[in-house]
Formats: sequence, C-alpha cells, structure tokens
Amino acid sequence: MPRRPLPTPLRYTLTVAAAFPLLIGLAACSAPAEAEETVDYSALSHDELVELATEEGEVSVYAFTSRIATVEEAFEAEYPGIDVVATDISSTELITRLASENQAGSATADVAYVSDAPVVVTELLAEGVLEQYLPPRMADVLPEEYQTPLVANRLSTKVLMYNEEAYPDGSPVSNLWELTDAEWAGKVVLVDPNVRGDYLDLVTEMSLRADEMAAAYEEHFGAEIELSDGVEDAGLQFISDLYNNDAVLVDDTDTVNAAIGALGQDAPPVGFTSYSDRRDNEDEGWALQVASGVAPSPGIVFPAMLGITAGAENPAAARLLIDFMMGDDTETGGPGFEPFYVAGDYPTRTDVVAPADALALDELGGWIIDAEASAERRDVVADFLLTIQ
Amino acid sequence: MRRVSTGIRRPTTWLAVAVLAVLVVLVALPLQGLVAATLQPDSVGSWTDVLASPLSGNLFWEPLRNSLIVGLGTGLVASLLGGFLAWVVVMSDIPGRRIIGVLATIPFALPSFAIALAWESVFRNDRLGGNPGVLASLGIAVPDILSWGVVPITLTLVAHYYSLSFVVVAAALSNVGGDLVAAAELTGASRLRIALRISLPVVAPAILSGFLLAFAEGVSNFAVPALLGLPVRFQTLSTRLYGSISTGDTERGYVLSILLVVIAALVLWVGNRFTAGKSFATITGKSSRPRRVTTGRWKWVLFTLSAALVTATTIVPGIVLATSTLLRRTNSFDAGLTLHYWIGESDPNIAQGMRGVLRDPIALDALLSTVSLGISVALGATLIGLLSAYVVTRLKRARAVTGSISLLSYVPFLIPGIAFGAAFIAQFGAPIGPFPSLYGTFAILVVAGIAASLPFAFQTSRSALGQAAGDLEEAAVIAGAGTARRLRSIVFPLASRGVVSGGILVFVTMVRDLSLVVLLVTPATPLLSVMTYRYASEGFTQSANAITLVIAIVSVAATLLARRLQGTNQSWSNA
Repeated sequence: MPRRPLPTPLRYTLTVAAAFPLLIGLAACSAPAEAEETVDYSALSHDELVELATEEGEVSVYAFTSRIATVEEAFEAEYPGIDVVATDISSTELITRLASENQAGSATADVAYVSDAPVVVTELLAEGVLEQYLPPRMADVLPEEYQTPLVANRLSTKVLMYNEEAYPDGSPVSNLWELTDAEWAGKVVLVDPNVRGDYLDLVTEMSLRADEMAAAYEEHFGAEIELSDGVEDAGLQFISDLYNNDAVLVDDTDTVNAAIGALGQDAPPVGFTSYSDRRDNEDEGWALQVASGVAPSPGIVFPAMLGITAGAENPAAARLLIDFMMGDDTETGGPGFEPFYVAGDYPTRTDVVAPADALALDELGGWIIDAEASAERRDVVADFLLTIQ
Repeated sequence: MRRVSTGIRRPTTWLAVAVLAVLVVLVALPLQGLVAATLQPDSVGSWTDVLASPLSGNLFWEPLRNSLIVGLGTGLVASLLGGFLAWVVVMSDIPGRRIIGVLATIPFALPSFAIALAWESVFRNDRLGGNPGVLASLGIAVPDILSWGVVPITLTLVAHYYSLSFVVVAAALSNVGGDLVAAAELTGASRLRIALRISLPVVAPAILSGFLLAFAEGVSNFAVPALLGLPVRFQTLSTRLYGSISTGDTERGYVLSILLVVIAALVLWVGNRFTAGKSFATITGKSSRPRRVTTGRWKWVLFTLSAALVTATTIVPGIVLATSTLLRRTNSFDAGLTLHYWIGESDPNIAQGMRGVLRDPIALDALLSTVSLGISVALGATLIGLLSAYVVTRLKRARAVTGSISLLSYVPFLIPGIAFGAAFIAQFGAPIGPFPSLYGTFAILVVAGIAASLPFAFQTSRSALGQAAGDLEEAAVIAGAGTARRLRSIVFPLASRGVVSGGILVFVTMVRDLSLVVLLVTPATPLLSVMTYRYASEGFTQSANAITLVIAIVSVAATLLARRLQGTNQSWSNA
C-alpha cells in the first residue's frame, strides 16, 4: 500500500502502531487507491454541484463549535436530499482526529470547520490532510487573506476588555503598557497562554508586532524601550513585565469574563477575552466592554476556517456545505451564516454587513493574525513564556 | 501438594499469556505509540527540552514537585479518610452508618469541578475579581493559601477521591472474619489494639489499592489544578501536559505523560513492596460473619466526624451542583432561580435561545447509550481486571509477568485521552484482515472504555482476591475441578464483593468521562458526557451542569442498584 510520507511525530507514531504484526493484514487487504479524481468541481455551475451532491446524499463535518447543529438544520432545509452528519469537538481534538484518521486510512469527515489556524497550518495543511476549497462565487467578495491557506468565514477576537459599570467614562487604559504599571498590579486577567492556543496566538502576535509595541512603550514612558537579558523583542518584554506585575492567569475564558465583567465591583480587573462575549452581558450580569483605541492594539482577530479533507468521500456535498457556510448574498449572509452572525465576531465577506451593536472591524483596531507567520513564531514564544512564569 | 499447585499454575500460565496479549493491545501499544512519537528525529528534542534545558525548571521539575505533593497528599489523606469511614461503617456500631456508607460512595460520582466550585463559593478571595466567596463577602480576609494553590487543590481532590479508598477498604473489611476479632478479644486486646493489629493489617492490600488509585487520579486530574492553581501560577504535570497538547506542542505533552507513567510505575513498585511476601488471606474455608466493635462513649464523636465528612463532600457539592442548574445567571443569585435550563422552551433572551436540556431531542438517546456503554465497559473491564488480578495473585513467582500485568493495568489513567484515542484510530481505524473496521461503531467505544478503566477493575479485584485463601482452590483441584470451574465456583463468588465495587467504579468513570471517547464518538452514538462538553464549550454553564447532575444521578442509582443486587451477603449495607 503506497503511503504518503508523513513526517510529523503523530503520524510516525501511528505508522509504528499500525505496523504491529497483528495489523499486517491491514496493508494486504486495504482497498486499492481511489480512482483518479476527474471532476473539476470549481468549473461546475451551482446546479451541477447540487446535483452531484444530492447523488452523494450525505456530508460529514467536524466542527469546533456546537453551532454547527444550527447549520445542519438550515442546510438540510435548503437541500432536503443531503444529510449532514455533524460532530462537534474541540479544535485540538479535531486536529488530532483528522490527522489520525488520515493516517489510518479510516472513515473521516468531508469538511472541517476549525479554529487554531497556526496549528492547522503545521499539523494538517503541511501534511495534506486538509485542502483548500474556494467556492467560485467567493473569488470577488472574499479578501485574499481570507482565501488562503483555507477559506475563513468569520473572525473572532481576543481583546482587552473592561467593566463599563465601574468605568463609565470609557476604557481605564489607553496604552497596553499601562498594564505593567503598579496601578494594575494583580489586576490583569488572562487565560494562561501556555494552556490555550488562542491566547498563545495573542502573545505571539505581540512579538510579531514588536515595532508597534516598542513605539507604544515610548509613547507611554517617554523613553526608548530597553530589553532585559534574554528578551528578544518589545512584545515579549511586555508580556514579561505583565507577568512580573502579578498578572492573574486562569484556565478558561468564562473565568476571565466573570472576573472582569461581574456587576457591583469597586475596582474590577481588566483582561483579555472575546469581544463577542459582550452579548452575554445582560444574560449573565456582566458589564463587559472592549477597550477600543488602546495603543498599539487591543488584541487579535483570528479566523475560523473551512477545509475539505484529502480524498473526501463526498467531494461534491463537501463543497456544497462550504459554499453554504460562506453565506448567501443577503446583507446578513442568510441561514448558512446565521449562527455566526454575532456582534463582536466579524464576517469575512466584504458584502456581508457586520452586525450592529459592535464596533466595525477597523474601529476595533485589532491585529489580524497571519496564520503562517504565527505558526513559525509561536513555539519560540511558548518557550519564552515558560521561562518567565 | 506440589502436584496440586502445578495443577493451578499450568492453566494459569495460559491465562497469563491471554491476559498479557489483551493488555498489550489495549495499553502497551498506545503507550508504545506515545514513546515512538517522542523518539522521532524532529521530536526527540522534546526530551531535552523537558529534562535539561532552560525550560525544564518551569516545564517539568517544578510541576513534578507540585504533582507529587498533590498526588501523594491526595493518596495519603484520601486513604486515611476513606479507611476511617470504611471502618466506621463496617466495623463500628455508630448510628446511621448505613446512610453514611451510601453517601461516602457519591463524591466519586460527582464531577471534581463541582467540589472545586463548592470550595470556591466559600473560600474565594479577591485575587481574581468577580464575585467573592461567602467568607470574603462577610468581610473575612481569606489568605491566598486557602483560596488558591496546593491546599485547596489537594483537599478538593481528597474530597473527590476518598470514596475510592472507602469502596475498596469497606469491601475488604467486610471480609474480616469475626473469629479473628473474637480471638483477639478473648486474649484481652483493647479495641484500639484490635483495630490497629488486626483490622488494619488484613486490609493493607485494599488500603494500598485505594492509595494507588487516588494517587493516579490525583496526578492526572486537570480540571481542579487548572481552576484553583493557575491564578497563583501553581502548575502541575497535568496542567503542563494538557497545555502542551492544546497549544500544538503534542510531543512535549507526550514526553510529560511518559514521565508521569514512569513516576507512577515507581510509586506502584514502592507500594507493592509494602505488601510483598505477606499473606492477607482472611477468607478461608471456615468463614464467620464480621463482628462489630462497640465504640461506647466514642460513638457520638465518630458519628459527628463521619457525618461532617460526608456532608462536606457529598451533600454540599451536590447542592451546589443542583443549585447551579437553577440559577438564572451563571454562579450568581442576582437574577433569581428558574427551571428554564431543564424544561424551558427556546427563548431568544436566555442563553442565546438554548432550550432546556430535557427538551433536547438527543437527551434520551444519549442517556440510553451512555448507560449501555457504562454497563458494557463495566462488564468487560471487570472480567479482564479480575483475570489479570487472578494471574497476579496466583503466579507470584513469575515477577516479570505479574510486574508487566500490574503496570499495564495501572497506567491507563496517565495516558492522555487524546493520545489514547489517536492510538485506537491507528489500530482499529481500518479493516483488520477479514474483519470490518471497528471504527465508528459502538464496539470501539467499549474497547477504548475498557482500556481506560482497567485500573479500577484491576486494583479492586486484586485487593479482593488477595483475601481469598488458596486452600479452597487447592481443595477444588484435588476434587478434579478445571480452571474455568474453579474461577466460576470459587474465585468469582469469594471476590464478588470487591469485584462488584470495582465494576461500579468503572461504570461511574465511564458515564462521566469524556477525554478518551471524544476522539471516537460519532453522532450515531450520542453520549451525555459529549452533551456536557457541547454546552460547556459555548458557555451554557447551567445546561452543562444539568447534564452533569443527570450523570451523577445515574451513577448513584447504579451504585445503589448494584448494592441491592449483591443481596444479603453485603453485611455493611444491610446493617
């Protein structure tokens, strides 16, 4: 059985495990390689794609959000002949599962809806487990940065937020470096970036934007930044100073929200969390508000991406589902995008109007991460964080 | 006599081979996959990163120290409390011991975070901001050491895992024949002396088993140290391990889990040294009923202590969990109580339109498949655990074999669920010879579940079998009974009390544990634990806790039912 070279350790593991004598039969008996793919799906009209997809009759999707259940209902209402089989698991598990299934040659999903873009780049795209599919009608309305490495249908955030009940005049912070002052000692809450990937992406972006961090330093302290021993850049210096200022690390975004957002606090902390969680303010008794305008940036904006698995069993239905989840041509993206049309998250399409009740993306001023650049840098950043605990 | 023991040994040797083969497939292969992953050219550097680099201090050594403190603390205190309660329930004459006995098994069925949450709701200080705990809102300054870090983590884990010790030790104690105690009383031994010199030594293997289980659970638990430790940067191997894997540095996480396995192996070896070479057989041909100790004026002291313990660890967290599902706002009484999260119709103003969990169309399906999974795994794991334990107790001389079996049956806790899942996909993801692929079926969930819950089945069976004297079996050999017959008619019945307890532990773990099955489930087999995850990941805490409460209720019901099925020979629950 021809095997694609699979250099990552995980795959190596699986090869070794599969090589156990018990499983030798596997190699002898597995199905012959699939017939050459001859259909050029991108050249098909929408109706032709629907026809092929309906013949397949089913599409399986792994998603990192339970909102996929709503997509499933909407898709099945739109295309009654096609059954969506949706599995929602965390991004980390999703990535491991796809890689393992690809290696074992077992049944797998047709579509993956996944966050953790930098890990997707190194674990799945580099190995050819996931492939990009750009629905033809997206070519003009989707900015290029959201077309590759996979298409993104929306953006989420990890940004500095504060308690607007305690600080009714706006953000108590106008420059990130203020958080390293004594005034904010023990009063900045974030999820431990060594525990959650999106927070590691936040710190990685600060390192990648070291020049902006350095400029903001000078703006705040009136002097050029001096890096401590072993600190490579201004972004890492910031996080080091923040840790030294007794920043409080927690395990979960909801813990951050409750800590900074809870009503009735005299001097609540500030912290990094998702802008879209502000929509739970009334429900949960929070007063979360984004610290927009903070220099150099309140935080990061990152994509949720859609990809198609290599050798997907239902290639047409998979493409149809991705097409559907990119939304229709109405202002709000229609039923396929509806579960993700949330204030504080951002549609990637230029022709879909971002939900009201939240700042526009350019007003927010978040750094939009570059998955590939982030993937290259984040290991160094993770190691650095380990040394400054 | 030699012929008799050969008669027992020879078929046992074959059994040993069979048991080892199963353990190799279920545990050794995933473990070997883990090791292989870290030895690959571009990942072998993870070993030096972890063990000898500028990172090692914060990545490994410091977390190792913390894990050992937490793990040993959990193991020791849990054994002490569990053993104490078991003695009170089985051997003493205090009032209400039957209900205390039932309550003491429940903490294990509650999720560890419920107990952590209960701790937080009392002791949380202003370190984090947000809503303070009860003490702080009364104006009492709570020092960080009580709110965060090693003390609350260890105590929370103890509150959760002492029931492991209780279950194992109680089963063993009820096998202590009244004749031993009576003999001691005749010679004028004091009650304390009887407890220390007779009751304690004969249940030593059970105490050890309880300790080993609590230790392994203590070092592998992630939720509690993450919740109560991170705010003061208290990191354990489990938080580091989980963090490495979830930030994409899988190999480093694997190295940490291999080191965890090595440490556990050392603890296992040291623990076994304590009981090596001694006989703990108390179930002999001439059995007599257990005999209670009259506690006299200590009665009410013991009662108060026991009642306080089960109240703090069962009733309070249970109420916290139940209340949390009724709060309109997460963990806050501000907005009052509601049944919406249980039975409400979809309302766009509440929890983004989530309907109550009992209206979730898959809830009933999930309940049924969860229970069938729990039962299947409990039966399978109990069988394998019992056979492994039989081999280990009967083939004492073959150290390499018994050592491997003990180790392989002990470490599944310590292999991260995600690595286990990946290994199972590798092994069963494609058809094997003429057999269709198990992947995507209910069967693979059962197989994986059995692998993961072997430690409970093995430790409880070993402790139970250690008490069954060999002379009964030898008599059966002389009478011409074959291995299968002896297992069925003598070994299983004698060990049943401990074995059933183990089966319950397996069931409970299986119905509430997610980490292993999450890589293997498909929408065709919905599980309650997967529903919990789904709700929790979108921040619907009340709904997630409601499902968790359902899981706890199912677990408690299973426990009570199993006790009832065991019938009248269960002296301590029918006292």
